Amino acid sequence: MRKVNVLWLQGGCCGGSTMSFLNAEQPDIFAAVHMSNLDVVWHPSLSTETGETVVDALQSFCSGNRSLDVLMVEGAVHRGPDRTGRYFMFHDRPFKDWILDLSNVAEYTMAVGTCSSFGGIPSSGTNPLDATGLQFLREKKGGLLGVGYTSGSGLPVINIPGCPAHPDWIVETLVLLISGELGIDRLDRYQRPKMFYSKLAHHACPRNEYYEFKASAEEYSQQGCLFEHLGCKGTQCESDCNERLWLGRTGSCTRGGFPCVSCTSPRFPDGFVPFFVTEKIGDIPTTLPLDVPKAWYVGISGLAKLACPERLRANAVSFKRIDLR
Amino acid sequence: MGDKLLTISPFNRVEGDLEIKVRLKDGEVVDAYASGVMFRGFEKLLRGRDPLDALVFTCRICGICSGSHSTAASNALRSALKIHMPPNAYLCRNVVMATETVMSHVTHFYAFFAVDFVNKRYSGMPTYKVLLERFASFSGRSYVKALRIRRKILEILGLFAGKWPHTLALQPGGTTRPVDRSEIVRAMGILTEFRSFIEESLLNCSLDRWLDNKSLTGVESWLGEDNHEDSDLGLFIRCGRERGLDRLGKGPCRFLSCGGYDLPDGTAWLKGGYFDGDLNPFDQTKITEHLKYSWFKGNGDAEHPENGTTEVDLDKVQAYSWAKAPRYDGRTAETGPLARMIVNQDPLAIDLVGCLGPNVFTRSLIRLHEAVKLVRQIGIWLQQIDPSQPFYARSEKVEEARGVGLTEAPRGILGHWITIEDYKIKNYQVITPSAWNLSPRGLDDTPGPVEQALIGTPVEDAENPIEVAHVIRSFDPCLFCTVHTLIGDDNARSFVLTTA
Repeated sequence: MRKVNVLWLQGGCCGGSTMSFLNAEQPDIFAAVHMSNLDVVWHPSLSTETGETVVDALQSFCSGNRSLDVLMVEGAVHRGPDRTGRYFMFHDRPFKDWILDLSNVAEYTMAVGTCSSFGGIPSSGTNPLDATGLQFLREKKGGLLGVGYTSGSGLPVINIPGCPAHPDWIVETLVLLISGELGIDRLDRYQRPKMFYSKLAHHACPRNEYYEFKASAEEYSQQGCLFEHLGCKGTQCESDCNERLWLGRTGSCTRGGFPCVSCTSPRFPDGFVPFFVTEKIGDIPTTLPLDVPKAWYVGISGLAKLACPERLRANAVSFKRIDLR
Repeated sequence: MGDKLLTISPFNRVEGDLEIKVRLKDGEVVDAYASGVMFRGFEKLLRGRDPLDALVFTCRICGICSGSHSTAASNALRSALKIHMPPNAYLCRNVVMATETVMSHVTHFYAFFAVDFVNKRYSGMPTYKVLLERFASFSGRSYVKALRIRRKILEILGLFAGKWPHTLALQPGGTTRPVDRSEIVRAMGILTEFRSFIEESLLNCSLDRWLDNKSLTGVESWLGEDNHEDSDLGLFIRCGRERGLDRLGKGPCRFLSCGGYDLPDGTAWLKGGYFDGDLNPFDQTKITEHLKYSWFKGNGDAEHPENGTTEVDLDKVQAYSWAKAPRYDGRTAETGPLARMIVNQDPLAIDLVGCLGPNVFTRSLIRLHEAVKLVRQIGIWLQQIDPSQPFYARSEKVEEARGVGLTEAPRGILGHWITIEDYKIKNYQVITPSAWNLSPRGLDDTPGPVEQALIGTPVEDAENPIEVAHVIRSFDPCLFCTVHTLIGDDNARSFVLTTA
């Protein structure tokens, strides 16, 4: 059986999603390669191929002499200055031009991480580098490849955002794409696989009981909910982080005691600043949970505070557990 | 710092976007140029933001030493906000930093450095078969084991920092993640599993037995004992010297460390210093950056990072890098594990450098030596945590302040400089370890440390310049480093030396 050719390239990024990819388990990277019969033709940090071999491989894809089954791109694509792409040259050629050519011949194109999905941090603020995601710049469809882009399979770019992306999101998407089980109906409005991004980071957060009774932490390291005062965006962030968990299922952002910054969103980072305090009008946070009407939120949270058990009230503002009968 | 585009190199995934050009004459490198080929402009992205939000942005400068950037950023903020952390916070942060560093060192050795030993150049050597079986990419027995155990030790970060890379648990006032006794036991368990890998695969002996080695002679007799020469490290020591790695990649012979792993009593596990034959105390005000060969305006300038300017000048004729050139007291300096161990008077490092000099072999051996020391030390710090005491101290906003945050990342000295005005970031500057080691030429045209280490390197086969790869990788430019080597003048040839 012919192997499945995979090419992974890095643009403007920190390499964090590669690091995360290496943390994959169930299946780990070795098992995934075996399961899906992958030939990782080149990855900038994992491959031994050097120099002209790599350029030759890239060119053989571009010319159609060799089939490119999956193009995986990590990192934003720099278009500046003045649309020359000179802010990032790859083999004496603007990186953006390589991506334009390779995406043309790829059967599937995957954007790994928020930067290649939506532009992420490199495109934040005034976007001085004119950085963009492959098919989105923030919430606006288009990006480098354009609104109408589809890869050979007929699918648009598959976005696997996250800063970094969870290794399961990357590996499972790859496995399912190759086996033909990930159709357009399984993608959401931002072209993310629904199976990972239709939940909220809030789901399965161990602070949920505190959330229900509006028993809130007042400073970091305390056990209470981080939503009311400390900036948590877990009720807006579309991901399954707290159900899936990270690093051998040992942690997550809110389990680590710091606020979710909604890194899987096309609006990350600028849509979620300031990250560490909750902005409010009066007593009402401006960042209400997705699809909870404001009036109901106000009514329910007022009642919840009144109903809050003393156990939660005390523990919410304590860094260690206080046992009350 | 005006309203300009900012540099790269400090904010660049320097580690990833580097191009090295070497000129060969009669089978020897006669000139070398290290260029940062990507402009990222992180600094511009930070200006005008809430100072604490720097924690979210700056850890994303690098996905491999993300926790080191968190440490440097939170140190810079802490010095600006003038807060004191509780003792537990020091210990937990050190556990996080040390875990990241150990993980990085082990990944570097197995996934990026040792892989070069099975380069086809060496296929005629008697040890080739065993090296292939051990270190080949994706199939070598030790390679696979190392990548699996790498994942395991990161579980400590799940417990202490929620996730990795890009945790926000390290804050100016301490850590957001208190741990209880149950979690300390779990972390000890993970560490013990990792330690078994070190003892059974890397060393074939206990940590303590390895750490008894205080000299080259000591290492040589260790090699002869039991089955030590069959361990991964033993194999490296034998093959490394057989292949002349102890004669490659000398560098500037000046070593810089800012010190790191601060302790609750005000001392640090690693002290800082500058060694140029004599050991001098470290003074961050002696750091400057030169712009002469960088695509930024300014030719004759040597700026302290706090006052740095970075205005793009694409037409500068002599420029070849998006990186600035950091200098200490006006001179180049090597930074990293070897520099740290020399500055801290580690007997093995001192003796190896004395007998063999700084080189590819010494640098790589001391990196692993430091990893072994850190594995032992993580266990000590874990035991010192007192779960009944706080982990975090609250801080107030500050209208105007300056802060400096320095730490030792896996690859060396990492500095963050912040200026706050009107409660916002006015200026933010970063100098990464790779900016030091891979810097371009400075004001006096002296090559940067890696450039200098490359000059004089013999290259047996211009089609496969593995010696050049050994030298560059001995500085651990980073996991992501894609190094382009351009050989020759007329028929220029481009090589990508990936890190694996």
